[in-house]
Amino acid sequence: MKNHVSLTVNGRRVAAEIEPRLSLADFLREHLHLTATHLGCEHGVCGACTVLADGKPIRACIALAVSLDDAEIRTLEGLQGDPLMEALKDAFHEKHGLQCGFCTPGMLVSAWDLLRRRRDLDERTVRVAMSGNLCRCTGYQGIVRSIMAAAAHAGSAKGPA
Amino acid sequence: MTATRVSGEGVGASVRRVEDRRLLDGGGEYLADLRVPGTVEVAFLRSPVAHARLKGVDIPTQFRNSVFLAEDIGFTKPIVAATAAPGFQSSEYPALAREKLRFVGEMIAMCIAPTRAEAEDIAQACTLDLDELPAVWDIDVALAADAPRIHEGWRDNVFLRSAITAGDLAGIKANAPVVVQKTLRMGRHAGVSLETRGVLAHYDRRLGELVVYSSTQFPHVIRTVLAQSLGIAESRLRVVAPDVGGGFGIKGNFHPEELAVAALAMKLGCPVRWIEDRREHLVASPHAREHRYRITAYADRSGRIRGLEAEVVVDAGAYSVWPWTAAMEAGMSAGIMTGPYDIPVYHGRAVTVCTNKSPLGPYRGVGRSGACFALETMIDAIARAVGRNPEDVRLENMVPPSAMPYRSATGKFYDSGDYPECARRALAAIDPAAVRARQARGEPDGRLIGFGMASYTEQSAHGTAEWVARGMPVVFGYEPALARFTPDGKLILFVGIQNHGQGLETTLAQVAHQELGIAVADIVVRHGDSSVSPYGMGTFASRSMTMAGGAVSRACAMLAEKVKRIGAHLLQAPIDAVTLAGGQVAFGSQSVGFAAIAEAAYRHPERLPSGEEPGLEANAVYEPQCSTGAFSYATHACTVAVDPGTGMVELLDYVVCHDCGTMVNPMIVEAQVVGGVVQGLGTALYEEIPYDENGQPLASTFLDYLIPGAPEAPDVRVLHMETPSPHTRFGIKGMGEGGAIAPPAAVVNAVNDALRPLGAEVTETPITPERVLTAILAAEARR
Amino acid sequence: MKPAPFAYVRPKSLGEAVALLVQSGARALAGGQSLVPMLNLRLAPVERLVDLGGLAELRGVRDSSGSILYGAMTAHAVFEDGEVPDASNGLMPFVAGQFAFRAVRNRGTIGGAIALADPAADWLTTAVALEARLHLIGVAGRRLVGAEEFVLGPYVTALGEGELIEAVEVPKRAASERWGHARVAMKIGDYAESMAIALMDRKAGRGRLVLGAADGAPILFPEIAARALSGAASDELRLAVRRALLAADRGFTPAKLAMHTTTLLRALAQAAAA
Repeated sequence: MKNHVSLTVNGRRVAAEIEPRLSLADFLREHLHLTATHLGCEHGVCGACTVLADGKPIRACIALAVSLDDAEIRTLEGLQGDPLMEALKDAFHEKHGLQCGFCTPGMLVSAWDLLRRRRDLDERTVRVAMSGNLCRCTGYQGIVRSIMAAAAHAGSAKGPA
Repeated sequence: MTATRVSGEGVGASVRRVEDRRLLDGGGEYLADLRVPGTVEVAFLRSPVAHARLKGVDIPTQFRNSVFLAEDIGFTKPIVAATAAPGFQSSEYPALAREKLRFVGEMIAMCIAPTRAEAEDIAQACTLDLDELPAVWDIDVALAADAPRIHEGWRDNVFLRSAITAGDLAGIKANAPVVVQKTLRMGRHAGVSLETRGVLAHYDRRLGELVVYSSTQFPHVIRTVLAQSLGIAESRLRVVAPDVGGGFGIKGNFHPEELAVAALAMKLGCPVRWIEDRREHLVASPHAREHRYRITAYADRSGRIRGLEAEVVVDAGAYSVWPWTAAMEAGMSAGIMTGPYDIPVYHGRAVTVCTNKSPLGPYRGVGRSGACFALETMIDAIARAVGRNPEDVRLENMVPPSAMPYRSATGKFYDSGDYPECARRALAAIDPAAVRARQARGEPDGRLIGFGMASYTEQSAHGTAEWVARGMPVVFGYEPALARFTPDGKLILFVGIQNHGQGLETTLAQVAHQELGIAVADIVVRHGDSSVSPYGMGTFASRSMTMAGGAVSRACAMLAEKVKRIGAHLLQAPIDAVTLAGGQVAFGSQSVGFAAIAEAAYRHPERLPSGEEPGLEANAVYEPQCSTGAFSYATHACTVAVDPGTGMVELLDYVVCHDCGTMVNPMIVEAQVVGGVVQGLGTALYEEIPYDENGQPLASTFLDYLIPGAPEAPDVRVLHMETPSPHTRFGIKGMGEGGAIAPPAAVVNAVNDALRPLGAEVTETPITPERVLTAILAAEARR
Repeated sequence: MKPAPFAYVRPKSLGEAVALLVQSGARALAGGQSLVPMLNLRLAPVERLVDLGGLAELRGVRDSSGSILYGAMTAHAVFEDGEVPDASNGLMPFVAGQFAFRAVRNRGTIGGAIALADPAADWLTTAVALEARLHLIGVAGRRLVGAEEFVLGPYVTALGEGELIEAVEVPKRAASERWGHARVAMKIGDYAESMAIALMDRKAGRGRLVLGAADGAPILFPEIAARALSGAASDELRLAVRRALLAADRGFTPAKLAMHTTTLLRALAQAAAA
């Protein structure tokens, strides 16, 4: 019982015959070997599998690959070299925004979307906006500081009051 | 002993982490990212019931060759983790259940297929023939005289009862003007590394070796126990921990899944993989906590504690986990109960109960978070009983710096530090007077403000004496390091610890830099592979920086001598006239770098001093001078707002002042503290796996098992003190667990401070809205 | 944690979708943010998923004089970001930003959330509060059902065999109306433990008070809304709320009763103060 799907992943056209039950995350990881997208819960809560579909973050673990026919998917690998993403990575390195690194790709993709969408970021806004990405190591402090630093760099942080 | 901070990369520098790059680029290689062609996927058929006789498994005909039962891996030995403590009743934990099922989630069969989904289809198609037995789902049920026995032949459902008796409690009891008693509970929860567990095993025909990749914190130790359990030579087994996405103790056990998957790979001769899913993790990975306390303090009218009596009862679940044993949790709690306080008389009892639940294992802050919760709640109660501020009562009871080193009533040897000063600094930062003024003013939104604090000592880097005293199957007394220059003058450190977020690829390089002056960028740290590194114990119990740091330091110091000898020879200078600094051996204005020295050592032995062996590497093993552990300590203080209408608790401020001796990398230390605090807040406020009376776990997804997110986490303010340990290299003390120890205690104290005007009190974690409201309603009913 | 096998179809028209949905074992897939987790956990037996994602008919928004019709497949984030006209004086965009997480709100849809009828779902309570009408379509044709009548209990709705929600019609609320919203969740983004919405229009003398996350269909409290509108004292209201909650007979624990009392009173107070 397989269905045809054809979509764009990181700028590359991909077509495959897949089982309808295959999640986008498993399609990316097991079929395309794009392993930056991590699976932390497989029921849409932890955010480690966050990727962009048509420019918007979604949970790859609760999106069926077959239902994304014609979609444009971008994973962390596909954002390599993107200036905003590189600024975020630099900030995560500088402000110690990661420990074991497992939540990191999802954090980066969600933060990238946040910085593109919002121009008025203060600490509370960042924390609430990142509530859908769980981290078990950092206690979030390094992550929040990293995102604030990248926001300042990208001009999306609130200026001093 | 304090490290001299000679450069920007040595001990004491907040060097940015070298492991970040690959992780930030999505290039981390975690277990589920590994690919071995031809791998089959395993789905475990797990017990749906808590307690039953297993009479058979009905496997549909078409899946007969895809399902493997206990008899198919009959060559494996069950996991037995026993302590030498008298009276310990031992359990046999089979890789796959044989005749009896003892908890929901226990493994019965392995189902294999090309994909996990298909393997799950097979598991779902199998049916079980069971005779259900009454579930022993709770401590009280387990301890009832007529309780069904979980393990045949046991006297009762108790792994171990032990006691610590220090001093004459009867005398104290007879004369104490103030007696305070509390009954407290800390809920059962899970470890929740964000990466779940996983195992990939395959047979390497060329080497005649079974290769087992596991998301583990201690690959060498797993190699040893796995070889024993499989009945093969350790030389024919390689265990590799790739990038590991968090451990927190959960991945520091020998799991039946590791045994089952490795056994199946041996049997089938093809690569086999199991990736734990989140439901399996919550239901069937080793659980954390579940303590109950009855604690009584005897004090004088000023609140000075003269004697303490405590009973710790821990629900350790169905089996004893290897190597820690079921008894570790209760034993460690009872053994550290007096904390940073000078309490001369103490009677403690530890009871480890066996129930039909997933086995309990180590989790960040083992035992101590419960002990801290019990004692610190008690100190607040004593302060109330004598009408004083809790901070004053604490300060007066603390071990003063003049008493250091200090031996506690439980026999712990506190090596150094100034506990009252640490508490004073935390207090100064949180400013209780200001908090109380705000409390008195009242909030416009009707919420109640509370102030709470808690202090603890954290035994870290336990050495030989401590593990021997516990009667453990393995004595984790040392750590090795092999430091090896490559012929081009770069350095590789081969170590036996396992880095999974702690930044050890950076901090161990900093230690090497401290000894050799070589740039951190020129150092590679290799760990996590039993075939690559010397035999080491792995990463747990806040030990790696002290232990492996000591070993790297020793190995590099030995290398430094050889580097100087070769350098001096190349410079034609006397050995005592050269210096090693900044990556150069120098003599006056002349110098020679590592590249030239390594070139001579490996490729041009003719350039070496006469009698000097070619090659440039050194092997060292480190044991701290004092093997009872280096004691870190801290005070946590927090302000909360409690909404009496909804029961919601918000953290308004959280301060930690801590002392872990010499800090190798303050940036990393601080982040470890903060991460630990937020895990501790999970214990305090959110995380719980309750069981119903059928022994069914009631939280099995992230929808019903909550871990703190970014909005729930406070911006923790961390203050550092640095009292070097007199017993360790550089004066380092371990600190990985500490952050998680105090939050339940500090938060419970703060919530109870807030609820005081209502006459309500919470005595159980997690402090859910339901529990807060129930406490408020109970207080209303009493009025 | 992978789903059991199922077949998948992506109809190109509403008629085709409805015809597919009457077949046994068929289930509609909207945003999938609740359904796919249930499939992953093997908690929802499905033989065939009928993906509504390709149906443009379910995506539009129609602004008429008295109401706004939102296509059932309108994503939560679209409301949150104000990309569609608002009929609710800001309540709907506010609610849309309160639950779950951005990545979920990008996929999850208003129609899907209401059709699932999870008692803790915010849209359900909001739709009842706003007197929304649900446009249903099935093989037998179209019909209109009020949100209040639509929900029969936890996960139980008035949807017939093969029927689906085509659109959610929200009557434009009077400009003079004020809303209050109180929600308790253990964490940001988590399911509500309790949720109350109050709508107060002093000028028109109209009030509505709804409790969600009430272990069943949302509960309406018309008498309390009327009392609040007439300026009842807070002690009197508290007592009335408590009595009404007990009368609802949902088996609330004493703590839950206290929490629901709080959210109801706070929603009223907020609406009154606005």
